[in-house]
Amino acid sequence: MRLWILAWFERLKRRRLDDDDFQQEIRAHLAIAAEERIADGAYERSAQLASLNEFATVRLTPEPARRVWTPWWVDALHDQLSDVRHAIRALAKHSVFALTVVGVLTLGIGLNAAVFTMLKSIALSPIAGVDGSARLPVMFRETTAGRQLPVSYPDYQYLRDHDGAFSGLFGSSVATFNLGKGRSARQVWGEIVTGNYFQILGVRAERGRTLLPSDEIAPGRHPVIVLSDGLWRRDFAADPDIVGKTVEINNYPLTVVGVADPTFHGTTVVYDVEVFVPVMMAPQLGFSFGSRETTPSGILSDRRTSFLFPQGYLRPGTTLASAAAQADALWATLSRDRPLADAAERLRVVPFWQTPGGAPSIILPTLGVLTAMGLLVLMIACANIAGLVLVRALSRRGEIAVRLALGATRIRIIRLLIVENLVLAMPGALFGVLLAQRGIPVLVGYAERLAAPQRIFFNIEVDSLVIGFAVLVACGSALAFGFVPALQSSRVDLVSVINEDASPRGASRGRLRAGLVVAQVAVSLLLLVGAGLATRSVDAARRTNPGFDASHVTAIAVDVKQNGYDESRGRVFYRKLLDAARADAGIESATLAAYTPLGFLDTPARRVAIEGYEPRRGEDLAFMSNTVGPDYFRTLRINLTAGRAFEDRDDETAAPVVMVNHTLAQRFWGGAPNALGKRLRVADGDWRTVIGVVADVKYSRINESPRPYFYLPFLQSYRSTMILHTRGPAPIDVLVDRARARVTALDADLPILYARPMDEMKRGALLLFDLTATMLFIFGVAGMALSALGTYGLVSYLVKQSTHEIGIRMALGATGRSIVLAFLTRGLTLGAIGAALGMVAALGFTRLLGSVLFGVSATDAVSFARALAVVLGGVIVATIVPAWRAARTNPLSALRHQ
Amino acid sequence: MTLHSSRPDARTDLLHGTLDMLILRTLQWGSQHGYAIGQTIRAQSSDVLQVEAGSLYPALQRLAKRGWVTSKWGQTEANQRAKFYRITPEGKKQLLREESRWTELVNAISQVMKAAPAPTGKE
Repeated sequence: MRLWILAWFERLKRRRLDDDDFQQEIRAHLAIAAEERIADGAYERSAQLASLNEFATVRLTPEPARRVWTPWWVDALHDQLSDVRHAIRALAKHSVFALTVVGVLTLGIGLNAAVFTMLKSIALSPIAGVDGSARLPVMFRETTAGRQLPVSYPDYQYLRDHDGAFSGLFGSSVATFNLGKGRSARQVWGEIVTGNYFQILGVRAERGRTLLPSDEIAPGRHPVIVLSDGLWRRDFAADPDIVGKTVEINNYPLTVVGVADPTFHGTTVVYDVEVFVPVMMAPQLGFSFGSRETTPSGILSDRRTSFLFPQGYLRPGTTLASAAAQADALWATLSRDRPLADAAERLRVVPFWQTPGGAPSIILPTLGVLTAMGLLVLMIACANIAGLVLVRALSRRGEIAVRLALGATRIRIIRLLIVENLVLAMPGALFGVLLAQRGIPVLVGYAERLAAPQRIFFNIEVDSLVIGFAVLVACGSALAFGFVPALQSSRVDLVSVINEDASPRGASRGRLRAGLVVAQVAVSLLLLVGAGLATRSVDAARRTNPGFDASHVTAIAVDVKQNGYDESRGRVFYRKLLDAARADAGIESATLAAYTPLGFLDTPARRVAIEGYEPRRGEDLAFMSNTVGPDYFRTLRINLTAGRAFEDRDDETAAPVVMVNHTLAQRFWGGAPNALGKRLRVADGDWRTVIGVVADVKYSRINESPRPYFYLPFLQSYRSTMILHTRGPAPIDVLVDRARARVTALDADLPILYARPMDEMKRGALLLFDLTATMLFIFGVAGMALSALGTYGLVSYLVKQSTHEIGIRMALGATGRSIVLAFLTRGLTLGAIGAALGMVAALGFTRLLGSVLFGVSATDAVSFARALAVVLGGVIVATIVPAWRAARTNPLSALRHQ
Repeated sequence: MTLHSSRPDARTDLLHGTLDMLILRTLQWGSQHGYAIGQTIRAQSSDVLQVEAGSLYPALQRLAKRGWVTSKWGQTEANQRAKFYRITPEGKKQLLREESRWTELVNAISQVMKAAPAPTGKE
C-alpha cells in the first residue's frame, strides 16, 4: 500500500516541470537573443537590456509553464492550502479566541466521541475481534407470554441442517466455569460452543488451533478447550508450550488445543469470556440445564433441555424478515412432526443487539439518551462559537471590505471563512478524540471495579470509526457555527465600511445574537433538567428500600461439586456449615441461598402450575425463584406477611412446601392469608403446599415492577452451588473473614468462589444508574458552563458596543444602577424567552428518559425549578458583571470610545 | 490570498490552440530552439506576429506534456547551448487536424465577411 503511494507520488513528481532545466532554457534564450543583437551591431549592454526587456515576463514565465504540468486538483488543493495557511496566521494573531473555540469544541466533540464509542461497542461492533458482528442474527424460542428461551441441542442440529437462510448456524451458551483445582480454583466466564463456532465467526487461533466441527462428534469424547488470550497471559504467564497441557475445568481435565485471537472476548457482550469448551463435553463438566435425563449424554439428546442460542450470518441476499419467516415455518414443521407438550411457542430471529437477556438490550436505550444529550452539548458549543465568530467577524469587516474591493468574490470570502472555521474545528476533533480516549477507560475502570470479581469487557477501542465520527462532527459543527456568520460577514457594504469605519448596528446581526442567547439558555435548561432528573433518580434508587437489608450480611459462594461431593455428602457439608456458622457467638443468624437479590440480570424462570388455576390458552406461567435455607428471611430481614418461614424440619422426609411473595399470592389467591395451604407445582415435580407469604423484593434491578416469585427450601431441593449468608453486629470485613474461615475449617481444599459483603453485590444493580447519571451530570454541567460562557461573552460584547450609549446616558444624568438595570432587563428578557422555550422542549424530551428514571416523574417540579434557577442565575451574573463594569467607566472616556 | 481562477476559459483555449499550431508548423521543417521558433514565426508573418517568451515557453511545455514535441539540449550554429524541440509523429497528426480546422474556420469567417449585405426591411 505504502509502496504504491510512493510510486504514485514519484510519477506525479516526474510529470512536474523541471524548474532548473526551464531556468537554463530561459537563460539560453536570453543569451541567444543578446548574441543576435550584437551581431546586428548593437552595443553589448544595450543588447542585453533590450533582450531582457523583450523578456519582461521572464520572472513570470515559469509560473504558467508550471501550471501546464499541474493537474487541476493539485491547483485547487494549492488554493485550499494557501487558505489554510492564511487561516492559521489569522488565528494565531487571536490566540485567545482560537484557544477558547478549540477548548469549547474539545469538550463538545469529546463527549460525543465518548458516547459514540460506547454506542459503537454495543450497536455497531458488539463482538470484539469479529467483523460485521452487528449483522449476526440470533435465534431463540419465544412463548406466547413473551418469555425468551434457548433451544435444545437436537433442535439446534435440526435448524443447522434445515435452515437455508443462514450460511451456517453455530450455537453458544454462556456459563461460569471453575478453573483449576482445590483452593486455587477461580471462577471464569466460559462459553459452551458448537464445533463450527470459531469458523463461522472467522476467529483464528493465536496458538494451536480453535475448536473445529471434528470436536462435535460424540458426547463426552472431546476433552479439549480453547483459552482466551487474556487468560493465557494472566493465568499461564503466556506459556509458549501451553498447547497440549491439561487444565481442570469444573474438576474435569481438558487438554488445551489453542489460544484464541487476542481481540476475541467471546460473543457475550460485556462479559469477558475466557474459556471455550465443546458442547459435547457439557455433561462431563456438570451442566445439566435442569434436565431430568440421568445419563450424561442424555442432555444432548433431550429436546426439553434447552441451553443454546443459535446464531449465524445470513446468506447473501437474505433479509432478516425472510429469515424470520423461514425459521417460523421450520419451527412449525418441527413442532408438528415431533410435538412437545409445552405451551405454544415461536422461533424468532432478531438482530444481535436484541439477544435475549443480553446487555445491549438493557444498555442501548440509555445510550440513546446519552447520544441526544451529547448532541445538545454540541449544539450549545456551536451556538457559543457562532457567537464568538460573529463578534470577531465584526472586527474583521475592514479586512473583508478590502478583499471585496480588490475583487474577491463573495463565494471566495465565504470559502476562506469556512476554511478558517475548519482549521479551528480540526484541533477540536483531535483533542476531543483524545479526551474520549482518556475518559472512557476511567468510566470503564469504575464499572469494572463495581463488577469485580466477575471480569467484564467493553469493546471500547477508539478506532478509525470513532476518529471518522469526530472529524465528521467537527466539520458539521464548523459549518454550523461558521456558515451563518460567514454569510453575514461576506455581505459587507463596502462604501459604508471604508468611509466611516463606524461600528455597525445591523439589526439582523443583533437579532442573530439575541437568538443565540435564547437558544443557549433553552438548550442548557433542557440539559440541566435531564441531569437533575438523573441525579434525583440515583438518589431515589439509593434510598429506595429493595425489600431486604443487606448491611452487615456476608455472601460466601461455594460449589461443593468442585471437591467431588455428591448430593448426600453435599447435604452433610451444608448442614455442618450452617451449624458451625450459627454456633459462632458473633453471628445473629446464618442461612443459605442460591441467588442474591438485585443481581442485575434475571435468574432463570421456572414453569409453575397452580392448583385450581386453569391457565388461559397459551398462557405461560413461569416465574423466577430462589432456593433458600432456614432463617433466610430473618437473615435478610424480608418481612413475613402470613404463615411461617422454612425451618429445619422442612427436609426431604417432610411434606413438600413452598413460600411465595406477596404479588404471587395476590395474583392467584387474592391475598396473603388466602394463599396459605394452597398448592403449586414446579415443572413436573411434586405438589407443594404454600406455608408462608413474604414481602416483595427487588429481585434483579432497582427499577423493576413487582413480579411473582417463589422460594423452595434447600433441604427439599438440593443444589451443589450455594451462597452462605451470615448476619452479625461486627464490622462487615470481620464477618466476611470469619465466615470464610468457617468454610475453610470444614474443607480446606474447597475453592471459595467469592466472599464479600452483600452490600457490595447490590452495587452492580445500581451500576447502570450510576453510570448514566454520572454522564448526564457531566453533560449538564458542561452544557451549563458553556452556555454561561456564551451568554457572558455575548452580553459583554453587547455592552461594549453600547459604551457610547452608556456615556451619553450618564452624561445626561443616568446613574450606574439604572444602566445596570437596563442591561439586566434586556438580558433577563432574552433569558426568560430561552427558559420558556427550554421548558417546553424539556417537557417533551424528558419523556424519553423513562428508561433511566426511577422514583421521580418525568415532569418532576424540583428538577425543573432547580434547572430554571441555575440557568437564570447564570444569565443574571453574565449580564450584571459586564454591565456594572461599563457603568463604572468615566462618561468622558466612554464618549471618546469611538 | 490567491484570487486567480484555476480553470482557463474557452477564449484562451482558442488562443493557445492557434499558437500551438504555429509552433508545430514551424517545427515541421526541422528541430529548433525556443528563440528560433519565436524568430521564425515573426519573420514568416512579416513581423506581425510577435510571440512573447511568456507565451512561447508555456506553450512548448503544453506541447511536450501532450507528447506532440520532444526536447533535447544541443548546440546552436553560434556554439550556444540551447534546448531544441522536435515534432513527434503524434504532433504531425495534430498539426494536420489543426490545419484543417483552421482552414475551415478561416473559410467560414471569410464567407461571412465577403457575403452580400443581408436583405433588410419588411417582408
